[in-house]
Amino acid sequence: MTALEQWLMRATRCLSQESRTKVRSEILDHYGASRDEAIGSGATLQEAEATALRALGEPAEANRLYRQSLLTSSEARLLREGNWEVRAICSRPVLRWLVLALPVAVFLAGIIALFCRSNNLAAELLLVSFCFSVLLHGPFLPIYTPLRSRIYRGFKWAALSAIFLMAAWSSGWSGSWLSLGCLWTVGWIEWRRISIRRKLPISRWPRQLHF
Amino acid sequence: MNFKGTLPTLILEALAAEPSYGYRIAQGIKERSQGVLDFKEGTLYPALHKLENEGQVESYETVENGRSRRCYRITKAGRAVLAKDRAKWRELSRAVTMILGEA
Repeated sequence: MTALEQWLMRATRCLSQESRTKVRSEILDHYGASRDEAIGSGATLQEAEATALRALGEPAEANRLYRQSLLTSSEARLLREGNWEVRAICSRPVLRWLVLALPVAVFLAGIIALFCRSNNLAAELLLVSFCFSVLLHGPFLPIYTPLRSRIYRGFKWAALSAIFLMAAWSSGWSGSWLSLGCLWTVGWIEWRRISIRRKLPISRWPRQLHF
Repeated sequence: MNFKGTLPTLILEALAAEPSYGYRIAQGIKERSQGVLDFKEGTLYPALHKLENEGQVESYETVENGRSRRCYRITKAGRAVLAKDRAKWRELSRAVTMILGEA
C-alpha cells in the first residue's frame, strides 16, 4: 500500500461510501496537481510525491474535519433505514387509514367527555389527540420546505414535551425516569438528524429529514 | 501561522475573483499571503464542503488539460457573507492596532 493510500484510508475512516469516493477523487486530483508542479520545478518523482503528501498534512486532522462536513457511515445508515416505519405505514392502506383515524377518534372521545362534564378526562383526551395528530399525521402533510419543516418540528417537540409532562404528572413524577428513558432514543435520533441536516444542502434533503 | 477560523473567509475571497479548483485555491492563498498563511492542504476540502452545504459556494465538474476537475464558484449568499466578514475583520484589525500600536 502506498503512502498516499494509507493517508486516504486514515482520512476517510468512518465516512460513508459516497463521502469516501468524493474525498478520494478530490485528494487524488489535488495530489496529482501538487506532484506535477513539484516535478515541473525540478524535483525528482520521489521528492515530488513526498512534498505533495507532506502538504496534505495529518490525515487524523483531515478525518476530524471531514466527519464534521460529510456524512459518516452511521449517518448514511440512519438515512437509509430511518424511515422504514413511515414507508411501512404509507404502503398499507389499512394501516394508513388507522393512523389517520386514531387521533380523530381520540379527539371525538374528548368532545364526548366534555359533553359528559368529565373535564379532566376531556382535557387529557384532547391533549393526547393533539399529540397523536402531530406525531402521526406528519408524513401525510405537505412538508418539503425549510420553513414548514421548522414549524412542524416545533410542534413535534411541543407534543413530545406534552406527552412527557402528562406521563410524569399522572404518575406523580415517580415514573418520569421511564418516560425519560423512552424519550432518550427519540432525542438521540433527532440529534443525529440535526447533524445530517447541517451536512446536506437543503436541495438534497430526503423527505424524512423535514420531520 | 495559525489562522484558525479564517480559512472559509479566505476561500470565499479567493473565489470572489473567479471560479477555481482546490489546488489553485490553496496556492492562491499561500501566494497572496507571501507564504505566511501556510496551511495543511488536506483541511481545505472539508472547509469547501461546509461552505457548499451552507450554500455559500457551489461546485461543478469541468475538464482541464484532459483531466476532470471539481471547480467551485461563489454564490450570492457567499458574497454577502464575505462582505460581512471583511467588515468584521477591518473592525477587529483596527481595534487590535489601537491596542498594540502601529508596527
